[in-house]
Amino acid sequence: MEGSEKLLAKIKGQQIKPKPKGLFWAQRSLAGAGFALAALLGALAFSILLFAIQQTDFNVLSHLGHSRLELFLGLLPFFWIGLLILALLTGMYGIRHSARGYKFTLARQMGYSAALSILLGALFFITGGASYLEKAFAIQVSLYESIQEKKIKLWMMPEQGQLAGQIVEVSASTLQLVDFSGKRWTIDYDSAFVPPMVLLEPGEEIKLMGNMEGNSLFLADDIRPWQGPGSRNGTRGGGPPWENNQKKGKKGY
Amino acid sequence: MPEGYSEALFYYLYSRIEKLMLIPKSICKGLSDAEILRKSIEEVDYFSCLYDRYEEKLLRYIHRIARISETEAEDLLQDAFVKIWKNLHAIDPELKLSSWVYRVVHNETVSWMRRKTSNGKDRNVPWNESFDTAVESSLPGEGEETQGQEGQIRFLLEQLPLVSREVLALKFFDEMSYAEISDVLKIPEGTVATRINRAKKAFAELAAKNKLSFEF
Repeated sequence: MEGSEKLLAKIKGQQIKPKPKGLFWAQRSLAGAGFALAALLGALAFSILLFAIQQTDFNVLSHLGHSRLELFLGLLPFFWIGLLILALLTGMYGIRHSARGYKFTLARQMGYSAALSILLGALFFITGGASYLEKAFAIQVSLYESIQEKKIKLWMMPEQGQLAGQIVEVSASTLQLVDFSGKRWTIDYDSAFVPPMVLLEPGEEIKLMGNMEGNSLFLADDIRPWQGPGSRNGTRGGGPPWENNQKKGKKGY
Repeated sequence: MPEGYSEALFYYLYSRIEKLMLIPKSICKGLSDAEILRKSIEEVDYFSCLYDRYEEKLLRYIHRIARISETEAEDLLQDAFVKIWKNLHAIDPELKLSSWVYRVVHNETVSWMRRKTSNGKDRNVPWNESFDTAVESSLPGEGEETQGQEGQIRFLLEQLPLVSREVLALKFFDEMSYAEISDVLKIPEGTVATRINRAKKAFAELAAKNKLSFEF
């Protein structure tokens, strides 16, 4: 018996049928949906990373007494970095196993996967979605420490020369500030550097570098807006830190 | 026998034999691969055209990349074609059918090799002239001189790693383009080029060591 006859006898004898078209269509659709989901998650993670970078005072870190690396690592949103890496790897896997994915080198697979997440992530960040997502996540997930919380931790060390809060009263050379734990401070800003972007008026949120002179007296050397340049009162930066007080299962400030 | 009876008997027997013969081989000749596939979905017998068209080439390819007996290679090819049949609707229309068929057979061969290695069986299949001649004699269309050279080539190929054997076999024996090899092995074309260069170098060194001369 010839090979082809043997083959037909096997196919007919065992009644082997081609798998239905719909099955392959479903597999391809599932893979496509998986890739889209990975790209979306990657985009969300990337947008929050951008938000975290925006919130990190790189220029200020160098002036702080702590180890810069230690502080920087403390501020990094490891959860989102992990999610971004996972999404990129999933995206790469999706590209690699697409119909023609094998045509691309590893670098191009990574590039395409990252490009989509970066593009969507940047759009999400620009439209302000990142800060809202981060905030929502912080409220819903009790174990999650938000970027705002990390930032507050960093700036709530008056003994180390860092303080932040909201201005409640302003006079010629001093101001009254309520820090994020609710404590009232008198700030001497007579010899402080105050950039033009900072408005010294009640309601403004600021961060200060200087020295703690007494239990509630702080001598400021440098005053900056809380949310960094280009934003005021949390319009882009995630809203006032007070809002985190509503976080489930966490103490308010 | 009365006049006319023998003629009637002849036509009766011919029609029976024709039915048993499934699709006459001559029909396959005029059909493209795509047409065979399309007709196969309607009538399974047409699938034999595809098998007949690629059987010889694929058996050679299997023997070039794997140390395998004739019977095992035929079984392996049968299994590969059953897979092709099962996945008939998964074929990418933008891909050359030959590339897809080679891909399935390649994967099946590699799986077979892995199974053999992990089972620890047949690690010392004899690779001598008599074995090689036996393989050659089963493959039609080869002259004696070519057979001898084929045996030498296999001897050298067998000493190379699989990544080299597969690209050399596809490029220089099955005369595939880089794009086709890329489709068969599912690797980028740049990687195909790199592997071919490396394999050619290794093959030339091996040939020189064995005092044989081959030029690609």
